Amino acid sequence: MELRPPIVIASGIGGMGEYLKLIDPKCIGAYTLKTITFKPRHGNPPPRLIATQNYLINSIGLENVGVKKFIEELRGQVYDELFRKVKVIFSFAGENFEEYLLVAEKMVPYQDRFAAFECNFSCPNVQFNPLSNPTELKRMLLELRKRLNVFLIAKIGIEGGFVEDVAKLAEDCGWNGVTLINTIRALHVDGERIIAGGVSGPVLKPIALRAVYEVRKRTSLFIIASGGIMNEEDAQQFFKVGASAISIGTALYKNPKIVEKIAKMFY
Amino acid sequence: MENFSLTKHELIQLTEDTFIVSFNEWIEFEPTQFIMIETETSIVRKPFGLGRWNKRLAIGVQIIGPGTGYIVQQNVLNAHGPCGRGFVPPGGKGAMIATPACLPMAMDLKERHGCDVFIGSAEELSIEIPFPLVVGDEPFLNLLRSLRGYNWFLIVGSDQMEKVSYDVLKDKAEVFVSFNEYMACGIGACKGCAKETRTGLKHLCIDGPVLRGEEVWS
Repeated sequence: MELRPPIVIASGIGGMGEYLKLIDPKCIGAYTLKTITFKPRHGNPPPRLIATQNYLINSIGLENVGVKKFIEELRGQVYDELFRKVKVIFSFAGENFEEYLLVAEKMVPYQDRFAAFECNFSCPNVQFNPLSNPTELKRMLLELRKRLNVFLIAKIGIEGGFVEDVAKLAEDCGWNGVTLINTIRALHVDGERIIAGGVSGPVLKPIALRAVYEVRKRTSLFIIASGGIMNEEDAQQFFKVGASAISIGTALYKNPKIVEKIAKMFY
Repeated sequence: MENFSLTKHELIQLTEDTFIVSFNEWIEFEPTQFIMIETETSIVRKPFGLGRWNKRLAIGVQIIGPGTGYIVQQNVLNAHGPCGRGFVPPGGKGAMIATPACLPMAMDLKERHGCDVFIGSAEELSIEIPFPLVVGDEPFLNLLRSLRGYNWFLIVGSDQMEKVSYDVLKDKAEVFVSFNEYMACGIGACKGCAKETRTGLKHLCIDGPVLRGEEVWS
């Protein structure tokens, strides 16, 4: 997969393309859509967010319309403008292994429209953690690879095994890339208010750097680095340790124009 | 929707912790729409309702932490917007019930729609305002109880002030409330500002910030 510039808008935070209102598409290598699941998901009850200077905790819970409605929207040209402007990565997940396969099967007729499929194996806001069962995960990776003829990316986190082991497994199963890392389960306590969710932002950077570093040593996968990239210097560090591209997420909340600043590194 | 910078024209102190910030620039917006302003103290931008003061674009800011303090201190602010759905009042006679930090929004609504405005404050204001002002909890409740003959109300203030006002006004007219759910993107991408309503989940940055009170507090 060739991304020019090698900058990806992260799934979840980027929604379904809304940030194109605020960012020059020429500065985006690919735009990853919000994760789509087999069934529609209402998401978690509010409050869903808390932010500090160094981190954000979100508990969105994969709110999405489900793959059936998403395909209706796709066929109804809802995303045609997005496709015209940028490469698009489809992100998907399920509430069990079978649902991952069902989403993939439904999306087969549309896979050519996307630059890649990113399989979200690591959302911290849902009950199912595919990474905690390596045997089933391997079966899943092989089955998805069999069904999909598209650039396949596994989005993996640090909970459920060493990232380099999971990444190597994905490579051995014929996958093309990994996104490292997802948010990590975290808790915010503020008086009586407690928010359990996934933490993102600058606090993730050293963890994500190590993940990229270890996976690059073990694999030749395309690595999309994700975790606390807030500026050009952060981006450079990830490329230095082996990233093929970087993913911008939480930084969009602070300043969407940061994507254009980082993109200048490549022009 | 766009990115822009706003340069401060004037800082008007209303109370010990509440200010009106007016700007040299003008952007087009609808009543109750807001902008997301960058601060150095948080990795998410903060939403501020747009309004006008002395014929200039303005926001009201109550300092509740380092982020709001930063916004009052800075001369140049980075922001994006306008965000949210503009409030379109139903027909008939209406009134906006607001706190001092919402004065610019109230001024805007008054100029556009000619509604009445009532301001409830915990303390006296340091400037004269062109609206009736009540100071203190009991006078504020008495004001709410005394309001008659309106077809609609719009309540804009803190969570607590909004709920108290809604409970008093709900049987008198149609009541709209500008909700204060935590936001991150402000543009409908992140789904962070979800609000449970009788008609399903709403996202305040695109479906709001103003909803019918009965949708949330039935």
